[in-house]
Amino acid sequence: MERTSVKIVVAGGFGTGKTTLVGSVSEIAPLTTEEVLTEASVGVDDTTGVEGKTHTTVALDFGRITISPDVVLYLFGTPGQDRFWFIWDELAQGAVGAIVLVDTRRLESSFPAVDYFERRGVPFVAAVNRFFGECAYTEDEIRSALELAPEVPLVWCDARDRGSSKLALIALVRHALGRLSPARA
Amino acid sequence: MPFDVWDGEDESAGGRFVPLYVLVNGRTSPRDSRLDLATQVVALPVDTRLLDAEYLRIVDQCGNWISVAEIGAYLQIPLTIAKVMVDVLVEQGYLGVGTPAQSKIVDRHILDSVLAGLERL
Repeated sequence: MERTSVKIVVAGGFGTGKTTLVGSVSEIAPLTTEEVLTEASVGVDDTTGVEGKTHTTVALDFGRITISPDVVLYLFGTPGQDRFWFIWDELAQGAVGAIVLVDTRRLESSFPAVDYFERRGVPFVAAVNRFFGECAYTEDEIRSALELAPEVPLVWCDARDRGSSKLALIALVRHALGRLSPARA
Repeated sequence: MPFDVWDGEDESAGGRFVPLYVLVNGRTSPRDSRLDLATQVVALPVDTRLLDAEYLRIVDQCGNWISVAEIGAYLQIPLTIAKVMVDVLVEQGYLGVGTPAQSKIVDRHILDSVLAGLERL
């Protein structure tokens, strides 16, 4: 059948604007789907105080952009809690790549996402969300704090703004294209 | 055996009484591992009169191409369950499936079209 879906993961620490970015470029209002986890899936330390709880619900927000009649792009926000790594695995598998949103007030909150995509060789760009006002850091300082490899693009964006979010997506797709082996002539 | 005595209270609890695993015939994972949460499915023109209501709700959502994640979101079915139920429907010929959102990184041709599509936005 001629219908192909592609995925882009929108990651970053809690409250960095993931759902805002998804919503600003999606052609539909962001949808939420839930994954129900049994206790075995959840870190032992996280069940402290909720003894007897047998499952946890993790919400995933996502949006859609129809590229052509044959191709549709889905933008999946990672769950707010970093510990659900196996959901990240499902989101990242086969994805074009990821946008890691960065909140300059809490640079460190985006480090786990950077580390995750770096380790798995998933193409990603760091997108510094200017929503939070004046940035106290230079690009070099942000790169250094996040331990970004030199080839990882860093873009400035306002996740509320459709045009700005679109540019972050374009930067990612260009980066992903650049990492493919050269086209056969 | 006081704990085995039905207290008659479940009528007041509301919601679904059938455990979700019953809906999927005890299956816990999709047979077709290519099924991703972004994989596109579409209803095929076949007789659905024999389908159980829970499955029919899914087929009814699939008049146009739709992802497994959207089915889960619209019908408020947990993703894992939606995936298995969609898989059953694909297996039984009620749904057609698109090129799966990939087990490998997408190719240059698709990336080119995604790039062009984004630039047109």
